[in-house]
Amino acid sequence: MLVINCPYCGERDQSEFSNGGEAHVARPENPETLNDKKWSEYVFIRLNPKGIFKERWVHTHGCRKWFNAVRNTSTDEILKTYKINEKPPSVAEFDTTIKTPSGEPDLGSGNFTVKK
Amino acid sequence: MTASNNNKNSCVTDSNKVSFTFDGKKYFGFDGDTIASALLRNNIKIIGRSFKYHRPRGIYTCGIEEPNALVQVLSESNEPNTRATVKKIYSGINVLSQNRWPSLKNDFGYVNNLLSPLFSAGFYYKTFMGPKGFWKNIYEPLIRRTAGLGKPPKEFRSKSIHNHHNVDIVIVGAGLAGLLAASKFIDSEYDVILLEQDNMLGGSLNSSQKIKTIENLETREWLKKIENLIKKSKNIKIFKNTLATSYNQTNHIIALEDNSVGKPLASHKPELILHKIRTKHTILSNGHIERLISFRNNDLPGVMLAGSFEKYIFRYGVIPETEPIIFTNNSSTFSLLKSLIDLGCKPKAYIDVRDESLIDKKTKNILETNKIPFYFSSEVEGCDGSQMLETISIRNKEMQIKKIKGSMLCISGGINPDVHLFTQSKGLIKWDEKYLTFRPETAFQNTITIGSANGNFNFNKIIEEINEKLSLFKLKELKIDLESDCPEDLNIVELWETISEKKSFWSKSFIDIQNDVTTKDLRQAVTEGFDRIEHLKRFTTNSMGTDQGKISSINSLGIVSKILKKNISEVGTTIYRPPYAPLSFSAIAGRSTYEFYDPTRKTSIHSWHVKNRAIFEDVGQWKRPWYFKKNNKENMYEAVQRESKELRNAAGILDGSTLGKIEIKGKDALEFVNLIYTNAFTKMKPMTARYALMLGEDGMIKDDGIVCKINDQHFIVTTTTGGAAKVLSDMEEYAQTEWPHLNVYLNSITEQFSTFNISGPKSRAIMRKVFSNIDFSNEKFPFMSFKKVNYLDTQVRILRASFTGELGYEVYISPKYGLELWEKFFRYGENLGLIPYGTETMHLLRAEKGYIVVGQDTDGTVTPLDLNLNWMIGKNKKDFIGKRSLSRSDTSRKGRKQLVGILAVDKSKIIEEGQHVVEKSSIPAKIKFPIKYLGHITSSYHSPTLNYYVAMAMIEGGNELIGKKFYVTQNKSLENINVEIVKPIFLDPENKRLLS
Amino acid sequence: MREIFSISGIDIFQRDFNQIMIRGNEHDQLNQIVNKEISLNLPNKNLQVINNDNILIAKHSFDQWNLIYLKDQYHKDALNLVSNLNSNDQILASDYSHGQVYFDISGEKKNYYLNKLTHFDLRLKKFPVNTMAQTLIARIDCSIYHLKERYIVTCNKSFEDYFIQRLTDSINL
Repeated sequence: MLVINCPYCGERDQSEFSNGGEAHVARPENPETLNDKKWSEYVFIRLNPKGIFKERWVHTHGCRKWFNAVRNTSTDEILKTYKINEKPPSVAEFDTTIKTPSGEPDLGSGNFTVKK
Repeated sequence: MTASNNNKNSCVTDSNKVSFTFDGKKYFGFDGDTIASALLRNNIKIIGRSFKYHRPRGIYTCGIEEPNALVQVLSESNEPNTRATVKKIYSGINVLSQNRWPSLKNDFGYVNNLLSPLFSAGFYYKTFMGPKGFWKNIYEPLIRRTAGLGKPPKEFRSKSIHNHHNVDIVIVGAGLAGLLAASKFIDSEYDVILLEQDNMLGGSLNSSQKIKTIENLETREWLKKIENLIKKSKNIKIFKNTLATSYNQTNHIIALEDNSVGKPLASHKPELILHKIRTKHTILSNGHIERLISFRNNDLPGVMLAGSFEKYIFRYGVIPETEPIIFTNNSSTFSLLKSLIDLGCKPKAYIDVRDESLIDKKTKNILETNKIPFYFSSEVEGCDGSQMLETISIRNKEMQIKKIKGSMLCISGGINPDVHLFTQSKGLIKWDEKYLTFRPETAFQNTITIGSANGNFNFNKIIEEINEKLSLFKLKELKIDLESDCPEDLNIVELWETISEKKSFWSKSFIDIQNDVTTKDLRQAVTEGFDRIEHLKRFTTNSMGTDQGKISSINSLGIVSKILKKNISEVGTTIYRPPYAPLSFSAIAGRSTYEFYDPTRKTSIHSWHVKNRAIFEDVGQWKRPWYFKKNNKENMYEAVQRESKELRNAAGILDGSTLGKIEIKGKDALEFVNLIYTNAFTKMKPMTARYALMLGEDGMIKDDGIVCKINDQHFIVTTTTGGAAKVLSDMEEYAQTEWPHLNVYLNSITEQFSTFNISGPKSRAIMRKVFSNIDFSNEKFPFMSFKKVNYLDTQVRILRASFTGELGYEVYISPKYGLELWEKFFRYGENLGLIPYGTETMHLLRAEKGYIVVGQDTDGTVTPLDLNLNWMIGKNKKDFIGKRSLSRSDTSRKGRKQLVGILAVDKSKIIEEGQHVVEKSSIPAKIKFPIKYLGHITSSYHSPTLNYYVAMAMIEGGNELIGKKFYVTQNKSLENINVEIVKPIFLDPENKRLLS
Repeated sequence: MREIFSISGIDIFQRDFNQIMIRGNEHDQLNQIVNKEISLNLPNKNLQVINNDNILIAKHSFDQWNLIYLKDQYHKDALNLVSNLNSNDQILASDYSHGQVYFDISGEKKNYYLNKLTHFDLRLKKFPVNTMAQTLIARIDCSIYHLKERYIVTCNKSFEDYFIQRLTDSINL
């Protein structure tokens, strides 16, 4: 269970929050002008990287406000949270070397618990 | 050669005798004894039969790591797999040995031992392959009878609660290191929790004599002093009998407190308390676990870990055997040797794998002065005995075998820091070439490891270590003198198993004693290609028992590394997962059981419903009246038929308070509502209402409801009961993230109103009586309009709308006056035939009209076009959520499932919900080819007004099939029902009743 | 006022308060209306609570305030304020009075008992006087207002029976 720092309420238990998937995917302004492929990219396609990921969270059982978070998906650490209207931080702010807690290789998994 | 008591210096005194029952026979132990120590006191060494081979097994350890001594506690609702080495006795406890039939001595399953070649690694996967049906009917029942642990309890027994803590520091383990660390925090600004699994503090200080004095006090005196100091400090909480089982992300620790140690369960108090602790820093001082050595028949009762043997002497005051034999590969056994001599016992022999040059002077001295036969550079080849250990074969330096008699063998294969919690916290461990064990290396969280948990086996260095590692907290330095009487440092040589000379079915060298995995199984698994440690674990079931291989998993890595000719660090460990030790499901459930399984919501009319024989349905967390029994004899079908009929003849009232209600306001409220819903709201007049649909961006129907427009800046919308929270959160999502430029605010007002739906031909007459100052005529109060009226000292909103197809009104009132108004309706309406009705009748009535229920007739793959609700789409609107998706190639293609009505050709037939619509009149008894399926029945009810079944279905290309005949399958027959596809409206297609 | 529990270390009373939920972004404008009616200023900081003997105002987040009348029988006043606030197009005020239930919890063991039901960090250093929090208690959404030596806890009225049972249960076990 993570602790998440709501930009409005401070640090709270993960059980108060819901995840809203990838952040900074803007709804197209004129959907009618898009072809099926472009539109379906907005509706259905989301990134799922291993490593630094910007995603949305909502403080469902608190202030009900949406905000963004930077999470390292390989270690599940939330590195930063910021308000919806704030400029997204650049990835360079964070250590981008993908290190999993068990020291696994970048891709896939394996039994490398004690290998370094 | 028997057990004896240590009355001199143990933690258990013989002041209080306690009687207990084991396998039906009464014995006595002392207050504070575990089942194991009490049995040892009574010279009982065989405790159970093993998992697979049914070999006799005894007590191997003295704590949580125990693989063998698992018992069933009959006096506690038959709780199985209880560790005899942990569970404390109390007067009247009734314990049974496990996995034996008919008795412990004469066990029928022992035949498995003779069949053991069948049961080698992977035997489940290989042996029980076929023929078809054999697994279910023969193999599985057979295996379940002969293999396994205890029997499951018959009833759900314990009461447990959860308790949350937020602290700065958690210290796991109150041994020497933990206590010293805790003492540093005394009267500091930090909130500290100190967890100890035992019922007394001290850890290994209680179980050995390794440390003689601390701060010039005898260790027990010092323990008393330090416990008092810690207790007095307001910022430190001590939890005894509390085992840390999980170390989760973000320093979240789960610890289980046993509230009934050494006493029978109390019915009114929680037996278990699950502590959920959130901390800033965790100090792991949870000690170490001794490991075994594999040799022939190393599972015989009488074989015990050396450290555990010593713990029985000092922690429980029982010397399991006055003349044991000691077998070791390291220096830690000196302590046992010395303790035995001090107590006047003389070990029968001392066998050490190490070369004489490696053995410290103290050990040599004690062996020589006391004339104990010793064998250096030697090992135990194996041991024999029919039920118990009888003889031990020693292989000496010259590779000669010598047999000696003995009833107990104390073994030590080395010491593992207990890294379980540390690795759960995602910390990295590293192989230590000196101590031949894995030690914590890099912490992933705010984790500090100290003492033997950190691989520090030297007492003289502990103060220094703690001062250094806790320096970040800026606490005062510890300055404490320790006087220790054992070798300064751990000296160990590698030995995982000894080679067996004897070959027979009976001769087995075990690696996982609980799961009956032998070293031969490991070899076989590697030969068969399972050379990755995680694969090997699953294939052999090594370390997969309730003890999770605590005393043997590192050994298996050692053995596998030898087979693979790799370093142990290359082999790696399997992943340690929570929990550290098994915990009861009831502990996890806490109070979320029975009446608190899920929070329950009740409307303000609930008490009236109960009084009037309502049967409730769970809708989300709400309790909604499903139907009202007229009398106790009436069943559900009869009640629903009656309610439906009476409503269509006179009037009915439904408690609709559970419907979601959202107030929307702001300068841009109109634009917002236009974007959220499919319908067009711009031209809608104030104080009117509209049935509206909400889609996802994929174009699928998510929810429906009624949108009431007060003015262009102010709307009130309703949602389905189950969708209320989701709809509000979706609206908030768009308002906050996509359209923050829109000035719009949303409040849930679900709870602020009790809502009644009054419908039926007599509803107008009833409304007139209740609200005498309002004009309810069609002209003044047309369909889909609403009014706000004063009532007592509050305001009531009345909306003319209907979900039954009858003339109907919805009344919204503050819940404070809800029940009063509800009762008023009956005072005025009863003689006009007003009845209460429930959700089932509502569903029946709407189905007669072909109104859909989101989530019943739709399932997240249905667009408004599929339901022929094109009229609800504001085609001239530039945009709304999901609009673009309605013209996607998939949503606009031909052959999508569409909503149709279904009527049986023979009107007396019963159409069941969920059945398939097919082309054939019957289903073959044996299906050889897939049967073409057109769709399924989404709703079906017997209409009391029409006196036949009316059904709706989602059918491929349904609109084009109106008038065609098909078949509907049946639950209990292969014959299908001939049906006709019709338009999904069965009653009053002209809406005469609705608009009357 | 109804006594739910009163034993050594904890007292729980159910109160018949009135409440208004206010949404809006124009702090000054809002403050003017509110201040005129009840002579209290809207708090500026998130989670801040300002109160006098009669009224409590808390800022839940940047566009939401809750106002609670700390004395019973103020419904008329509440309705007046709601309609005053709602006359402004850019403010949404909803009368929450009877859709919520109110518990007044005091006593030195209140944190101990409440922490059987919530993970929320109630330590004074993390949850000081004159702050509030929205969180989960007994698995339902609640608001806790920390006034001097007591908490006002509110939840949806539909949970009233369930919540009282859970409070009682946590004290009994």
